[in-house]
Amino acid sequence: MSSVSSYGSGRTSPYAATRSGVFRGWDRFDYWIVLCALGLVAMGLLLIYSGSARTYNGPAASFANPVAKQVVFATIGFGAMLIVSKLDYHYLTHYSWLLYFTGLVALVAILIIGHTAFGSTRWFSVGPIQVQPSEFAKLATILTLARFFSEHGGDAKDLKTLVISLLIVAPVAGLVFIEPDLGTSLCFLAIWLGVVIVAGVSRGHLLVMGALFVAVLPFVWTFAIADYQVERVSVLVNPEEFPQDAGYNVIQSKIAVGSGQLTGKGLTNGAQTQLRYLKVPTKDFIFSVLGEELGFVGAMGLFTLFIILLMRGVRVAQIAGDTAGQLVAVGIVMLILSQTFINVAVNVSLFPVTGIPLPFVSQGGSSIVTLFIALGILQSIIMRHRAYRQT
Amino acid sequence: MLDEGFSGRPQQGSSRNRPHGNLNILRVSILLLFGILTVRLFYMQIISGADYARRSAENHIVTANILPTRGLITDRNGDLLVQNVADYTATLTPDFLPEDKDARYKIFLQLATLTGAQVLDIQTLVKNAEDDGVGFIPIPIKKHLTQDQAIMMEEASVDLPGVNLAVSPGRYYPGGDAFSHILGHIAAQDVTEVPALRKIGYAYDEPVGKDGLEDRYESELRGKLGYSRVEQDAEGHLINSLKTDDAVAGNSLKLAIDSGLQKYVAELLQESMHDTSGNWGDARVAAAVVMSPKTGEVYSMVSLPLYDNNIFAQTETRADEYKALALDNVRTPFLNHALSAAAPGSTFKLVTSAAALQNGNITPHTPWNVSSTRLEIKGENGVIYYLIDWRQHGLIDLYGAIQWSSNIYMEMASCGILGQVNGLGKDIETSAVILGNYARALGLGLPTGIDLYGESEGRIPDPAWKKRVTKDPNNWYYADTCFMGIGQGDVTSTPLQIARMTAAVANGGTLVTPHVVNEVVDPSGKTVRKVTTETKSVGINPDYLQVVRDGMHLSAQSGAGLKASQPGVDIAGKTGTAEFIEGGVTKQHAWFTGFAPFNDPDVVVTVYFDLGVGGDKAAPVAGKIIKYFEENVKH
Repeated sequence: MSSVSSYGSGRTSPYAATRSGVFRGWDRFDYWIVLCALGLVAMGLLLIYSGSARTYNGPAASFANPVAKQVVFATIGFGAMLIVSKLDYHYLTHYSWLLYFTGLVALVAILIIGHTAFGSTRWFSVGPIQVQPSEFAKLATILTLARFFSEHGGDAKDLKTLVISLLIVAPVAGLVFIEPDLGTSLCFLAIWLGVVIVAGVSRGHLLVMGALFVAVLPFVWTFAIADYQVERVSVLVNPEEFPQDAGYNVIQSKIAVGSGQLTGKGLTNGAQTQLRYLKVPTKDFIFSVLGEELGFVGAMGLFTLFIILLMRGVRVAQIAGDTAGQLVAVGIVMLILSQTFINVAVNVSLFPVTGIPLPFVSQGGSSIVTLFIALGILQSIIMRHRAYRQT
Repeated sequence: MLDEGFSGRPQQGSSRNRPHGNLNILRVSILLLFGILTVRLFYMQIISGADYARRSAENHIVTANILPTRGLITDRNGDLLVQNVADYTATLTPDFLPEDKDARYKIFLQLATLTGAQVLDIQTLVKNAEDDGVGFIPIPIKKHLTQDQAIMMEEASVDLPGVNLAVSPGRYYPGGDAFSHILGHIAAQDVTEVPALRKIGYAYDEPVGKDGLEDRYESELRGKLGYSRVEQDAEGHLINSLKTDDAVAGNSLKLAIDSGLQKYVAELLQESMHDTSGNWGDARVAAAVVMSPKTGEVYSMVSLPLYDNNIFAQTETRADEYKALALDNVRTPFLNHALSAAAPGSTFKLVTSAAALQNGNITPHTPWNVSSTRLEIKGENGVIYYLIDWRQHGLIDLYGAIQWSSNIYMEMASCGILGQVNGLGKDIETSAVILGNYARALGLGLPTGIDLYGESEGRIPDPAWKKRVTKDPNNWYYADTCFMGIGQGDVTSTPLQIARMTAAVANGGTLVTPHVVNEVVDPSGKTVRKVTTETKSVGINPDYLQVVRDGMHLSAQSGAGLKASQPGVDIAGKTGTAEFIEGGVTKQHAWFTGFAPFNDPDVVVTVYFDLGVGGDKAAPVAGKIIKYFEENVKH
């Protein structure tokens, strides 16, 4: 904090003399958001423990232990959240273009030198840690969109503004799409959609763009979507036709979730999970573990935490001091909402298989750190709303 | 101060920048999307939950069959005729193969080296399986591996993903060729029989009996399938065993067959195939039946050509040999010729004699003068028939006719001599029907009921049958009845039927049911059931049968069957030489059927060669068999 404080030390403020900066604003800090996030992380740790019980049998306190690793990243994320909370989000919007282009470069670089797993290239290795730039690119894009609209009157009514905003999202979404990561590119679209709607896009423009999108879809389907993605859609429609190949995950996750019934089979008791019928049970299919072992009740608990978290996020947007803050909050809510929805929809076979983590719950350092930073930004917005309006 | 750090930064104007977005749409979206997921989850977990739970159980609980130990087979003295052995198959499961092409090829190459299969074949099999989307099913690459190959496979498969050694129950028959027709063999289920077998609880990988006793006594030998329910993970590894129902071993069979006699008969027939007379050519097919006239026990039953029934478990290593056997349409080695019908020739005269005596158209002492080997008879519509005999017997009675196997006497006794003597009935058709009824009473033209599948019924013709078959309402002539009387024409019988008929003559009129198996024994050695013969009276006065036996006695002592005689054994018998036309050439089957000892018969022997003369070729063999029996088998 000291370095941050020194940044502003040359300026004067009516509050500076009376209250220390470090302790200011915490009364407005939204503990609901933090509690829900921690609740989700806790559920995630239980599920990661269960999902890795049969594959990991080393010492508990080891970085090789997925649970320990997740605890470390959650802690890092939590710390980052506290720091970011204290940081004025305008710093972030100020440097948003820099962050944005850094993200773009990283996404291009990853296509060239990144690691490939399950047919797609999504991360760099930095020592023992894998870094997924698309996670950070999401935040950078949200900040850039918010900055853009705030500089253009927070108004998307103007068609030119709308198109430019789309041009901000398109390169990142496109790069992620060719990794390929269909799910994450859909998240970018959801973020953009949420932001422009709140920014007041004209309904007519939205309809025209929607119509254009529908018109372009067949061409995307034919030329831009990889065969495996087409197959995943067909598999979703009729997974039993592909029992061993593409349909495998769909069938197994359906069986896992369905067989959990009302109260689940109990943690570490799910046969689908423990006998490894579920692939990636601590990451993309962690919800299936939850469905199988904790049942409908557990899923409702998870949904409750997400809904409270997201509603509190909407509240942040509601009371944000300025357009930038409001749109950043909206972007973050859309980010969490779209990821959660797509991930769970994949797990319950409502959506074709696409690798996307369940926010706060899935194992994955980049994801959890990014999400906590996003919460930090929300806190930063809410801790400053009154102060801003006072000016 | 940091909080307001940007307050000094020029703003775009607070009124424009005041947030004004409508956020209710966001709240609605959140609730709507989670609502969709909740509905979906409710459907999956609450409404269809039980169904998914069942599928989850099916997913990881695998019911494996435990194949039972098949029952054994011993001869009458307890000598083991089969052994249970492991049958090894090298299998390959495509789904467990590595993706990498080179790595795959290395595995294929090593598998080919170990088993002798071709790499190209393996590649094709794998590709086909993967194209069909059945890569999870193990493909048999090479069946019936040798013990050495199996051991090497077992060791190598650890390092070869997808490669496995499958073990299924097999049988080894140590007794040699002589037992092949009786025992049969086991093999994998045929595609056509799978559905029926599934219905009665067979596992798909369970072998079933084919041919012989393995087939006939399948339900006894098989035992009861066991089950083990195991929990298995996604890669097919065993996690734990849940429940096991042990298999129950099959029952064993104790045969009536004497293995020493069986081997002796087989060797003897084999040696006698060669034609020493030079007139008829070497026999291609032969059969012999040795049975008890009292109990119906079959002491020996041999069919030539012999084959090794172990070949069915070695069809790949002995492919040429197997192919030669399977394609031999002349000798049909896999067929049990003791159960296949041929013209019985003069052995049938035993039936004719008994029938005529019982019918009353002759007495034992009815004389007939066979003064010529050719008797000219003017038949229906002026047709001339020639009754042929094989020598000038002179004035003979029935004893002499049996002793010397006179055709004309037997024709006199069955079809009659037109214009001089009536036959069995008032006309030739009635005579044929009466003779047919006696033949059937003596078990000809009907299955014997032996405990083996595939026996031929043979044929006892009658006028109605022949007219139906030829679609000619007048097609039954004098010659038809006469031919019947001497066991030719349309009459066919199996060696087993002739043996059974001989047994009825020998035992004084009881038709026994022959059986190869004596006892069914459970795995603990307790007798489950004894196989006993079913008997039925032939309806012929025992005194008349004594006359027939006397005729047979004379034949073996000093008549046509003289060559059957053996020192120290009082044999009675009847020769048979049946003419048949093959490829425009007249050929002869050689028969001999007899029993011993004359006073209290305990064994019946019937010998058949497809080419030869009964008295020369079959009689000596039968005599030697009886001699062997009396010396080595009789207790």
